[in-house]
Amino acid sequence: MSLLAAVGIEKSFGSVSVLHGVDLTLDAGEVVGLVGDNGAGKSTLMKIVTGMYQADSGLITLEGENLLDLTPGARRARGIEMIYQDLALAKQQDVASNIFLGREPTRRIFGVSLVDRHRMKREAQAMIDRLGAELPVITRSVGSFSGGQQQSVAIARALTFEPKIVIMDEPTAALAVREVQSVLDLIRQLKSQGIGVILISHRLNDVLSVTDRIVVLRQGRATANLVTKETTMADIVSAIVGGGDVAVAAAHEARG
Amino acid sequence: MATPQTQRATGLWAGLQEKFTEQLHVRLESIVVLVGLAVIMSILSPFFLSVSNFMNILLATSTIGILAIAATFVLSSGGLDLSIGSVLGLSGVVGASVAVNLGMPTPIAVFATIGAGALAGLVNGWVITRGFVPAFIVTLGMLGIARGLALVISDGRVIYGLPDWMLFLGQGRPFGIPMPVIILIVVAIIMHIVLAYTRFGRHTLAIGDNENAALTAGINVDLHRLTLYTLSGGLAGLAGLLFATRINSGDPTAGISYELTAITAAIIGGTNLFGGRGSILGTIVGALIMGVLQNGLNLLAVQSYYQQMAIGAVLILAVFIDQFQQRQETKV
Amino acid sequence: MSNTTKKCAVGMAVLTWFVFSAPTSAEGYGILMKTLANPYWGAMGDGVEAGAQGAGVDYYIQAVESDQAAESQLNVCNTMLERQPVAMITAAINSTNLLPCLKSAQEREIKVVDLDENLDPAILDAAGIEITFSIGSDNVLAGAQGAEYMVSQLGADVIGPVLVIEGLSGNITGEKRATGFADKLTELAPGLEIVASLPGDWDRGKAANITNDIMTRNPDLVGIFAANDGMALGAVESVFAAGRGGDVIIIGVDGNSDAVKSIKAGRLTASVAQLPYLVGKQALENVKTAIEGGYVETNVIIPTLVLTKDLIDAGTEPLLEFVK
Repeated sequence: MSLLAAVGIEKSFGSVSVLHGVDLTLDAGEVVGLVGDNGAGKSTLMKIVTGMYQADSGLITLEGENLLDLTPGARRARGIEMIYQDLALAKQQDVASNIFLGREPTRRIFGVSLVDRHRMKREAQAMIDRLGAELPVITRSVGSFSGGQQQSVAIARALTFEPKIVIMDEPTAALAVREVQSVLDLIRQLKSQGIGVILISHRLNDVLSVTDRIVVLRQGRATANLVTKETTMADIVSAIVGGGDVAVAAAHEARG
Repeated sequence: MATPQTQRATGLWAGLQEKFTEQLHVRLESIVVLVGLAVIMSILSPFFLSVSNFMNILLATSTIGILAIAATFVLSSGGLDLSIGSVLGLSGVVGASVAVNLGMPTPIAVFATIGAGALAGLVNGWVITRGFVPAFIVTLGMLGIARGLALVISDGRVIYGLPDWMLFLGQGRPFGIPMPVIILIVVAIIMHIVLAYTRFGRHTLAIGDNENAALTAGINVDLHRLTLYTLSGGLAGLAGLLFATRINSGDPTAGISYELTAITAAIIGGTNLFGGRGSILGTIVGALIMGVLQNGLNLLAVQSYYQQMAIGAVLILAVFIDQFQQRQETKV
Repeated sequence: MSNTTKKCAVGMAVLTWFVFSAPTSAEGYGILMKTLANPYWGAMGDGVEAGAQGAGVDYYIQAVESDQAAESQLNVCNTMLERQPVAMITAAINSTNLLPCLKSAQEREIKVVDLDENLDPAILDAAGIEITFSIGSDNVLAGAQGAEYMVSQLGADVIGPVLVIEGLSGNITGEKRATGFADKLTELAPGLEIVASLPGDWDRGKAANITNDIMTRNPDLVGIFAANDGMALGAVESVFAAGRGGDVIIIGVDGNSDAVKSIKAGRLTASVAQLPYLVGKQALENVKTAIEGGYVETNVIIPTLVLTKDLIDAGTEPLLEFVK
């Protein structure tokens, strides 16, 4: 049984039909790349998985359990985490607040439930250290951090509650070379821990280097399900654009 | 993900700043300004430094202080409630009407006052979250509706003669401290704890900071907003109760343009107008800064027109200093 | 210790040192007006200053930003008490908003004077506040004089609709003028029917709107009585804009400078002039007398004068001196 199975997902926004029946599966410890041109529906599909959007029709199960009636919070509690392209961080709050947003640990004082800030700080620091991220004082607001540092916080947030699935939307798009390698190493680490990873990325070299399978979305449909080891850059590009001057496009992509 | 290690904040001032922000959730600069202003006023006027004058300042600040607490919550969540001044007036009229015209006992009148405010807030929140009408517009509309309703209920006249028990809330002085001051302090402490130390408070700030982050974190943003506007209305009702009992009447013209003063106090105290940052303690300090300014200028017999200019200048200065600091932080 | 900390510490010390020190005692009269925006109140302020200077006493005048800022005025009143005046002369925005402050003043044995009769004696009794005296025009009489003049111009047998524009709701001054006018009108000319009596809140714009609406309803309107000049002038604009200037008798109350200009120009028909300058001046003179132990009536009435174009042009009336 797959860890995650999405079957026949359809979604329209008003009169614009974005997804026309997409299937996607993910096993534990598997890294799946989700690629496609702009507007193919990648982010929409993932937001349907996390519960931010409601699918018009289709089925989503996690370890066999139907997810469709669950709120985003409930799905997160079941172990589905997503790191958004814009990171979705609360820039004026500090690191611990962001990591624990929505599930802050509490303790009772005189019968009132107050947030346990010591615990939050401690555990946040522990997670940051475990990730090997170097952050300035973690009590400063995350808005004052650099882009790479902010992403560390977003990643820490996704990993703190022992997720089963981690979805990453363009995690390397704005990073320097060294930072990119850190992200890819992290994905490999997650894989070795048995966590399922879905990687949305334009950077096909990254996708080729770290994934087990590649799903190509084109105009709202999953047009290809490729095994990475047996796939070349040209194959992916041709699936994305669906014909046309494949060689030129492939060369373009190979340059990164 | 290695980045150059940034320097830890150095110096006693910065250290104190961090401590105040982290532990007490209030900006140190605001407190320094308040104390500085008090020192200046006490030098300029021999009447400033006395227990009874300080009581006056707190008493004069009590109504606006409660409204500013309401404004802090709403602004922190990225919202806006322009109706709190009118709701203050409406609540006072409702309470006075229940007590005087309907002859109900005090507890019922008090409940009706705060309840009327909460109901108005609930309506605001409902239309904002379900109707997708922007908060600015909804609360602006409520500003007119509540004011008109107050005039209708009171027939445009002041409703005079509240029962003694009710009057005690506005004019009583247990242990020499005016009741409105006690109420302000109690409410401020409770609300400060809520905003700074509870999940509800943290979620409020998160919603104002990045609504998307809150949604993805599983927070029910709509329900939270509804609760906030109801709370705002309820606090406006409480402020209306204090106002009416201070002057012993339900006055339909009470609270005109108070919402702007309340928002000013919140901003001077460090609340971010666009959401994501706010502290009740800071707001009280902001309200006191305005109160000290007005009181001092009154003692010096400076005309109220100049007072208004002074408050406007302080507001701009407060935000300027705040923005300046934000820049400094991100430069590091 | 850094500089900032040193400054903080010094500041704290100074503050603590002074907290319980008693302020130096002061004399002087505290005068609390409504707002100085209206020329009526401006003239009264001038009279107060003239009276105080004549009496040779220290005084301080405060006003608030509008004549609806009830809580503001209460706060200013409380603050003025801190200066320990010997007398507080107040023009309250409504009959109840200053009560806590006046009670406090009474407890501190500060003499309280009701400037321009804004306080209701029944309410003062109920609250146990004793004022030294109240001074102002007899507003009921002023309203009645307005009615007398209107009837003198229209004739006692005329039948027609009349509009009354009241003052701020709940304000006793406005109520007295409106009632005084209405009662006298009914007595002298039963044919003149008051078709509407609406509160204009002392606001020129509001009065203009009310006039427009009533003229639409009653196009044959013959007379308008407004409880103050500001509102009367608003009514004037509406009437002339509708092309009926000269057909409608418009009477205001106060006799302020704007009204006088309008009367001279033949627009406003008449104004029952209060003499605010005289009210202010005599208020101060009487306070001094009261403090020195002399006798002052509890209700000092300052006469009112019906100002018309003829009267102003003739210029012989002695009270004209006090119309500012």
